[in-house]
Amino acid sequence: MKTANIIIAIPAAASALYFLGLWAGPYWQIVALNLTMWIALTQSWSLFSGLTGYISLGHAVAYGLGAYVMASLFREWPIWLIIPTGGVVAGLFALIVALPVLRVRGPYFVILTFGLAELVKFVLLAVDTALGQSSRLLFGAPNTQTLLLWMLALAAAATLLRHHIGLSRFGRGLIAIREDETAAETIGVPITRYKVAAFALSTVIPGMVGAVMALRSTYFEVLQVFSPTISFTIVTMVIIGGSGDARGPVMGALFLVALAEILRGLSPQLYLIFLGLSLVLFVIFSPNGLTGLLERKPR
Amino acid sequence: MLDIILSPQLFFAAAVLGSLYALIGLGLNLVYGTMRLLNIAHGDIVMLGAFSAFWWFTLTGFSPLLALPVIAALGAMIGLCLYILLFRRQLAQGLDPVVIEARSLLLFFGVSVVIQNVTALLFTATPRAYRHLDEVFRIGDLAMTGSRIAALACSVVLLIAMLVFLKKTLFGIEVRALIQHREAARIVGINVEKVQIVAISMGFGVTAVAGALLSMTELITPFMGFRFTIASFVVIILGGLGNIKGGIMAGFLLGLLEIYAVTIFSAEARSILIYGCFVLAIVLRPQGLLGIGKKA
Repeated sequence: MKTANIIIAIPAAASALYFLGLWAGPYWQIVALNLTMWIALTQSWSLFSGLTGYISLGHAVAYGLGAYVMASLFREWPIWLIIPTGGVVAGLFALIVALPVLRVRGPYFVILTFGLAELVKFVLLAVDTALGQSSRLLFGAPNTQTLLLWMLALAAAATLLRHHIGLSRFGRGLIAIREDETAAETIGVPITRYKVAAFALSTVIPGMVGAVMALRSTYFEVLQVFSPTISFTIVTMVIIGGSGDARGPVMGALFLVALAEILRGLSPQLYLIFLGLSLVLFVIFSPNGLTGLLERKPR
Repeated sequence: MLDIILSPQLFFAAAVLGSLYALIGLGLNLVYGTMRLLNIAHGDIVMLGAFSAFWWFTLTGFSPLLALPVIAALGAMIGLCLYILLFRRQLAQGLDPVVIEARSLLLFFGVSVVIQNVTALLFTATPRAYRHLDEVFRIGDLAMTGSRIAALACSVVLLIAMLVFLKKTLFGIEVRALIQHREAARIVGINVEKVQIVAISMGFGVTAVAGALLSMTELITPFMGFRFTIASFVVIILGGLGNIKGGIMAGFLLGLLEIYAVTIFSAEARSILIYGCFVLAIVLRPQGLLGIGKKA
């Protein structure tokens, strides 16, 4: 997609969603909020995992840390300051773990990020239990409409970032790492610096998303915000949408949010069953996702 | 403190859990070792074995020990179906092992989500347990319930049987050859397809049996699987891929570590310990899980 198109497309889509939320009532506001949340998360994830091919199952940690920061600082700091702080904390955590974690390649990286995310979850749970704080309530959070506006800004920022980095020298370097890490290193791509930078950068917006979503649920529980389901849903969305460019994550998020809205009323288990089935079907029949399917047709 | 550490009671509990970990790890060794399938649904097979035992006991009233062959067959059937539906084509294409590992991870993730949620949909997420063989036997200070003794005895017998099978029979040698070097195994005339089918069936069968034995000692829920998936990866990383004896020792070691961590610290320490071991094991072995015959 050309840059000119994307500069028109993002504000258009964002305002359409916002006015949909505004006019169509509270139900659609929440749907729009969920959709933009997943777009912000998947675009950020795709910035690192889509470009480098290092599939992270740990991005729930960034989301959870952001929510944790919000829950801890709510009413003590102004909200406009807590949200970026959530992003910074997530980014810093990613920087700290990046060096040892990114030495690991391929599928081991995937299961390692998953294990690390669970480790962080249980450690924080133990800390909270030791402090006698099993859950927190956030009273007086802004209304859904305000949150939707913030989330739209985050989703737009994530999409633009993903698009621009994909076209930049940095992004080319990341793609070279995906195609052949050793060859990339040989031709002078600073692989470690690039991987660490992309990894940390990809967690900043999810941290801010987590902080905003803590305001949405007004109820904070470690097990919920660090849930591996978040990481898995991100991966499934990008696999279904395709990770080739900035369109894939949007399509994947649309597909699964629609599926969720149709099925969740019936039963949450049914939704997860379909999520699992669609993942299996896409991996077998269309490894490049919906964008891959679209591009195959004209030929 | 010392009397806690030396207590035979803890040692017995560690042996029961460790033998089950060893068995589950052995199942993963067969599946991951021969085909490089990163089975993150492995723990869900444990869960299915546990639920089968639960329903067998609740509905028929017969001991779940009598159902072990049926449960093994059930696990084997699931392995066979997954192999035919999802993996045969992928494996036959001669793809790079890295691609196979990555795809199998996503596929098994999908399978895992489906298995967990179908189970939760059918039987609800409520934890369940049943009372069977719950009379207590005492030897000095050591008190053991019949169900734990039975679980330990069955898994030790099964471990020994599997070990003998893999070491002594021609088929066992073929399995180990495939674990060591896939291409070389094909060149010397091993029927790779046949070995893979038997390995995945046996791996899943053993794992389901371990789940059935586990259900005699613990509460079961549809979402109990993750813990065992992670534990089985820890076991095969610590023991070395394809190293059956090493895996068995690693299983007992992990059981020991876990029981002592829970006793000395708290129940939450269990998860921290298992995931901590898991993360450390992978970070310290960034070349991958492969203890032997690393392929590029």
